[in-house]
Amino acid sequence: MSGHTWMILLSIALGTYLIRTLPYLWMSRKLNKQAAQGGVGSTPVWLTILGPTMIAAMFGTSLVPVEPSFFSWIATAVGCVATYLMWRRTRSMGYPIVVGVLVFGALIVLFG
Amino acid sequence: MNTATNTLSSNPWKQGAKDALPLLGGYVPVAVSFGLISVQSGFGVLETILVSAFIYAGASQFLFVAMVVSGAPFWLVIVMTLLINSRHLVYGPNIAPYLEKDIRWVPLMHLLTDQIFALSLTRMPTMSAKERFRWYVSAGIIAWLSWISGTALGAIVGDELMQRWPLIGEVLPFALPALFLVMVLPRCSDRRWTITMVVATATAMLLKLFGFPNIAIPAAAICGALAYYAIQSQPTNKGAIS
Repeated sequence: MSGHTWMILLSIALGTYLIRTLPYLWMSRKLNKQAAQGGVGSTPVWLTILGPTMIAAMFGTSLVPVEPSFFSWIATAVGCVATYLMWRRTRSMGYPIVVGVLVFGALIVLFG
Repeated sequence: MNTATNTLSSNPWKQGAKDALPLLGGYVPVAVSFGLISVQSGFGVLETILVSAFIYAGASQFLFVAMVVSGAPFWLVIVMTLLINSRHLVYGPNIAPYLEKDIRWVPLMHLLTDQIFALSLTRMPTMSAKERFRWYVSAGIIAWLSWISGTALGAIVGDELMQRWPLIGEVLPFALPALFLVMVLPRCSDRRWTITMVVATATAMLLKLFGFPNIAIPAAAICGALAYYAIQSQPTNKGAIS
């Protein structure tokens, strides 16, 4: 990798780190300031809505199969149903994910 | 591993490790692919590993390699990759209320990926300040190391690995939708939030399907938020604003 490419890599790494860090520092300072003034520090409402919708959006993009086909869509749907049913039963994270992957994997192996 | 708002039952280090495990199913196959593509594009093994360690953001790493190889101007490579990563802007402020004032959080922001953010937002409200730090370090470091290890594996033996076990790359990534699903479900506690989450999910899926994977997450999240406000401003049958 040339010196030029290293410079690009380090610029992206630094930029990405600052994108993750600066907004956190800004909010942290804002909350501390509010608390110091005797108020209760609170996050803006739009931000508390954007957080969960970001997770839903990640869920949406992750639903598209690695190799989309009619069958992989069916396997994805069945895997999600299995995950959901296990979640309803256990209200936990670990078991529903394991069951979902096993059901999805079994369908891919058996019929894929 | 309860998603409900009860307190953490086990050691936060262990809990962080347990919570990070499903991420490996999504991280490792993608990291292996990145390692393989990077080496095939002419980057060295060590260079490829360092790209994963320093940038630590999937889509932008693929774009970085593709644009550098195609000889794109350096400023364009930087602008495009940072644009893809700009969705991370809202992650820190969202979890800031759960983090106590501690300088150690500053370097740890490097570990704040999409998935770690989603896990943090689900987990942190149920923990004490001390537990949050330990949990985050545990989950974050495991996820980061799995990304680096997967990249190394892909760069060194990726070709052989993909030929011998092609199903790995097809089955394990389902851990990610399953993980996100169990994070989305507890939020669907009323009609308004359910519609909001469905709008965000469907929009993201359609955008990715129609060839816009990089803007899918921020655009869909904004659509979901707009749906949330639209439902709020709908007048009730008595003429009042609900």
